[in-house]
Amino acid sequence: MRLLMLGFNHRTAPLELREALAFDSDSAAAAIAELRSEHPACECVLLSTCNRTELYLARPIHDPPTIEQLRGFVAGRTGVAIETVESASIHREQEQAAAHLFRVSAGLDSMVLGEPQVLGQVKRAYESANDQGAVGPVLHRLFQGAITAGKQARNQTGIDQGRTSVSSVAVAFARNIFDHFGDKIVLAIGAGEMIKAALAPLLREDPKSLLLVNRTHQRAIDLANALGLTGEGHGARPWDDLDTLLIEADIIVSCTAASEPIITAGRFKPLLKKRRGRPLFMLDLAVPRDLDPAIGALRNVYLYNLDDLQRAVKATEDDRRELVEQCEDLLSTHVARCMGEIRHRDVGRLIKQLRQRLHAMAEEEQGRTARKLAALNGESTEENVQSLIEQHNHRLVNKILHLPLSQLDRSDPDATLGFYAAALRRLFDLQDQADMAADESDPGS
Amino acid sequence: MPESATSIPLILATLASATAFVLATQRLCDPQRSGHLLIMRLLLGAVTVICAAVFAARVAWVHQAWLPVQAHVDGLLLIAALLAPAVLYVQAKPKLFGLSLFALPLLTLILLWGVCASLWTYRPFRLDSFEPAWVVFHTSATYLGLLMCGLGAAGGAMYLFVQSRVKAKTGFDQVNPMASLETLETLIIRTATLGFVLLTLSLASGLIIVTQSHELTSLGKAWWVSPKVWLAGSAWVVYALLINVRSSSLFRGRRAAWLAIAGLVLVLATYGAVEAIGDEPLHAESAGTEGGN
Repeated sequence: MRLLMLGFNHRTAPLELREALAFDSDSAAAAIAELRSEHPACECVLLSTCNRTELYLARPIHDPPTIEQLRGFVAGRTGVAIETVESASIHREQEQAAAHLFRVSAGLDSMVLGEPQVLGQVKRAYESANDQGAVGPVLHRLFQGAITAGKQARNQTGIDQGRTSVSSVAVAFARNIFDHFGDKIVLAIGAGEMIKAALAPLLREDPKSLLLVNRTHQRAIDLANALGLTGEGHGARPWDDLDTLLIEADIIVSCTAASEPIITAGRFKPLLKKRRGRPLFMLDLAVPRDLDPAIGALRNVYLYNLDDLQRAVKATEDDRRELVEQCEDLLSTHVARCMGEIRHRDVGRLIKQLRQRLHAMAEEEQGRTARKLAALNGESTEENVQSLIEQHNHRLVNKILHLPLSQLDRSDPDATLGFYAAALRRLFDLQDQADMAADESDPGS
Repeated sequence: MPESATSIPLILATLASATAFVLATQRLCDPQRSGHLLIMRLLLGAVTVICAAVFAARVAWVHQAWLPVQAHVDGLLLIAALLAPAVLYVQAKPKLFGLSLFALPLLTLILLWGVCASLWTYRPFRLDSFEPAWVVFHTSATYLGLLMCGLGAAGGAMYLFVQSRVKAKTGFDQVNPMASLETLETLIIRTATLGFVLLTLSLASGLIIVTQSHELTSLGKAWWVSPKVWLAGSAWVVYALLINVRSSSLFRGRRAAWLAIAGLVLVLATYGAVEAIGDEPLHAESAGTEGGN
């Protein structure tokens, strides 16, 4: 099997493009189903997060789809121009594809080095594809290995400790605007994991009020309970109160799964007057974005999105270079072991197929020889039997060698003769000198 | 006390302040330069000691009276002697990190102005006909008001700098974050409030001096059309607006910062106008509105 990865991430594609290439859980399932219907022998997992959309695929070595076909598939599914997909995508194969996934899982490829959320996202993508029956032995081993390695990298190197997380960067940015948070109202829009993670450091700053709104009110209530927001001034508010809350809030954090901005400049501008010029810090963690970028140009409004945070955290990564190197060493061991097992499994299946095919040939020849023996009747002299056995062996050896030798004879530009010749020498323990001697003794061959 | 005894220490203090400014700029680029911080503090300590010592020496040996501010250079020395420790205090407060960078040019400018006022434009105030108590009150309020206006303008300049960084999304420093916009706005409002009070007292005491010294029952037409009066009045209005920034959405944010800078410019322009029209009839009629300087 051949392992492929086609991906777009925060390093290769700007936010606007990542928005266009993002898959929610339903569209990811549909994409996997379509890919599997076209290529039933393939295994595939689609990982789509705020910062990346990556398609992992294991297919028989000489079967489609190729990387170009995969690019076309993504362009077709997302409506993004194929030229854009080509220029913004990265692709990896075999060890490199595995190493990439392991780095993603360990948080080394994340916007915030060592961040833990991505491990859960990898796990969910794997489980979701597995539920669809799209994961086979190769991707099972690969994803399980990546998840294990991701956990181990964090535990052993502490790459996730003292990290500059998205939320801690957000607080640092908020500190450029606000001196203290004790009299500030924080509004969180959405009720997912990202919002939960982003609110944790803000809660530590002890804001006057932390309010949650979500289209599904019950989810906001559940998150408020999970965060312990039961005190006065804290808690979930109905979605219909959003405009009022936009006037009251000093800090807004938004991360919903909406496909269109939920707060447009047109909606927000009339509310700005009622805020009486109070500064507003807005943090948009969603992809696609929840907050219209035009809002950031308004007076006393400071709007940050995920790409802005990435630039900020990049500076801090240099300080943690040593930990990254430790992680890379650990991951390379895991990758080598994982790919070794995948190859071993592949070779095992190959040997099994080879045995089955050779036995089938042998049985066929055995039947043919048996029929000939039976046809001899009273003429089964030792000579005749010896002759039949020789014919049997000759035919069997010819049959076995027919396909590999015919491959050698083909002038296929992709088939490197030297490689096959070396493989044959290695597999059948043939020596170069013996070949030369055979050539000399039989010049007509 | 010869004027060179004032000028030479002032030149040294100016150089020390300018050096501290250069070091503060380098430290902003690389906050880990702890050695720079120590040198900066030593330099600012030296500026404080020099200014305070020269001011005290002038009171003791030049004026030989309890009226400490008898010339423009005295007022500038007083401001520098107060501003230098204020900058030292600012440097020790992590919450106000970076503000010293904006206050140090002001300190250097004041010291340079002091050198000019000592070497080339030295002229004692005409205090003989004024009530000494009012003059002390008036000059103290004027120069302390200028100090507050200067600090407010430094805060305003820094506000504009920090805001441009925040808008450009480059102001990320978890270890040594610069003063927040909220802190700077508070600084602007507080210094503006103090500046407003002191300027009001200065204007009021100036009026009292004018009317008492010339026994006037009403201010003449020349007084009303004087650029000095208009500039002082404009500065007063600007600070009156600034103290109400939080209650008015119109002047929050960048506008407050620009107002603080405009306020200082107007105050400095008033000083310039006083210098420029000092001997004109208006001044003779209402000498002392700005302490007779």
